[in-house]
Amino acid sequence: MEHFLGGMALLLDPYILWVVFAGTVIGIVVGALPGISGSTTTALLLPFTITMGPIPALAFLGSIYCAANFGGSITAILVNSPGDPSASATAFDGYPMAQRGEAGRALGMSAVASAIGGIFSVIVLIVAAPLLARVAYSFGPPEYFALAVFGLSMVAMTGGDSATKNLIAGAFGVLLATVGQDLTTVVERYTFGIHSFSDGIEFIPVLIGLFALAELFEQAAQLGSRTVAAKLGAVRLPSWQDIKDCSKAIGLSSALGTFIGILPALGATTAAMIAYVETKRWSKNKAEFGKGAIEGVAGPEAANNAAVGGAMVPTLALGIPGSTTTAIILAGLIVQGVRPGPHLFTEQPLLLYAVFSSMLLANLLYLVLGLGFAKVFARISMIPAPYLWPAVFVLSVIGAYAPNQAMAEVWVAIAFGGIGFFMKRYGFSPAPMVIGLVLGKMVEETLKQSLLIFDLSWGGFLGRPIALTLFGLTVLFLLGPFLLQRLRGRP
Amino acid sequence: MTSTRAAAAAVIAIAVALFAATFWFEQMPEGITRGFGAELFPRMVLGTIVALAVLLAIMPASNPPLPRIPPMVWYSGASLLAFMALVPVAGMLPAMFVYLVGVGYLWGERRHWLLFLSAILLTAAIWAVFVKGFGIPLPKGLLD
Repeated sequence: MEHFLGGMALLLDPYILWVVFAGTVIGIVVGALPGISGSTTTALLLPFTITMGPIPALAFLGSIYCAANFGGSITAILVNSPGDPSASATAFDGYPMAQRGEAGRALGMSAVASAIGGIFSVIVLIVAAPLLARVAYSFGPPEYFALAVFGLSMVAMTGGDSATKNLIAGAFGVLLATVGQDLTTVVERYTFGIHSFSDGIEFIPVLIGLFALAELFEQAAQLGSRTVAAKLGAVRLPSWQDIKDCSKAIGLSSALGTFIGILPALGATTAAMIAYVETKRWSKNKAEFGKGAIEGVAGPEAANNAAVGGAMVPTLALGIPGSTTTAIILAGLIVQGVRPGPHLFTEQPLLLYAVFSSMLLANLLYLVLGLGFAKVFARISMIPAPYLWPAVFVLSVIGAYAPNQAMAEVWVAIAFGGIGFFMKRYGFSPAPMVIGLVLGKMVEETLKQSLLIFDLSWGGFLGRPIALTLFGLTVLFLLGPFLLQRLRGRP
Repeated sequence: MTSTRAAAAAVIAIAVALFAATFWFEQMPEGITRGFGAELFPRMVLGTIVALAVLLAIMPASNPPLPRIPPMVWYSGASLLAFMALVPVAGMLPAMFVYLVGVGYLWGERRHWLLFLSAILLTAAIWAVFVKGFGIPLPKGLLD
């Protein structure tokens, strides 16, 4: 409690307040811009947080993460083009509502449901993360290795065409983490004589390339497609009847979103989709779904914002990213010299509680900003592609160049932009690669340490019940869907 | 060959090439590696990748034909390379200005005054924030 109050007190610092406000506004704006997701923005702005120090940097990135999910609903409702993938399910009913002149009501419900889901998940984060950290405090290298493998196995369910493609992309991410000097033997691996690769591939240009520049190529491929915006009217608070009608959907989706967010690698998009299906299943007005049911807006919006706090639980408590964006935030912390994990709760509790508090504030801020300025954000989201995407490239160049002031990093970003484009074209999502890259070093280091503890015998893992349980869960998650299909007799 | 099989074949080819590259890693005595040489972990990962790619190739999958990559994607890629070539000659800020105007035009914007104005404003903002604000020296060109 004392640390939490300390974290709240930090919000009185005008600089932190400004950082949270700026992060929230940027999050809503970029969330509303079709094509620029929360992940892209955090990747793009990550280099600019290096000079901030860990607390403001994490507060800034956390606020963007919270607000981008809500921002995505603005264009999902108004133009049927989700600004953020996590708002895809919101468009199913939000856009039909907007078409019949209820855009303001839909946006109002989106803001309220998002804020309730977000605040609920931050409260869960405040309670669950320290408990999880306490459990993990006794973990040794074998348990961490098993945990990292479990986290990697969960990438099977993120984005992309198929689980196999996701796992391949994740494994390539792990391989990418091996570039540079091996820590034990100092042998250079995959540097190909390029001096700047000796310390490993920098996270920032890879992230900028895979998210921002790959999206630039995607946008170039879609030039000429036009969207028609529905008229917005006044954005207002949902009526008491609306809230009453949606209370079950918001409650169920907040809990579901938080739980899905906590699972490693699964993020807001999965949470929103599952919440939409479940909201429909438990609704009395099933026939209305897809035609403009307000519950169809409330459910996914509560879930995608609840997934944000949920995803931060394994990220901060275990150092295992709960989603793509948290993988980028994790990379940002590593760049700052902070290694997330259970020890953070004893060594830097103020950092963590400042982040929790700033996330709470961000949720309240976007509720106010969303209701007050949705029209402005909607207008900003209409920036034409010939202005928006060249500007994104210019910012990407600066972002890749600035940390080390090296043009080589810009080349790396451009190369990964091309790689990301072709990955997407063939159904490989870049998200698993990022998670693999972030976890790669941990996997190798903990495996080496474990084998040293076990005198190079893999059988040593058999004597570690927690590690065995995690390996069991990994196998279950990987083979479960396949076996289930077989049992049902479907291909 | 279907697009999935083509992707699987490409993955296997890349993995085999990277596996071969591990044979060129410097060899260290057993006392230093303690049974876990620098090449071991990458080989384990590459083995997993090959196994997954084989699985991908043999698993039934729907393979709708991939649409042709629109020429604009190639032009946009070429514009990035042109930008990189221009930086050492003109410097980063002038190259950014040229890129913003050029790609805006390439992507269909014909209001020249607006293109120039937005490019000037963005370039000036980058100069103010990064060069003046953060003190980050941007690459200068031969013309500077």
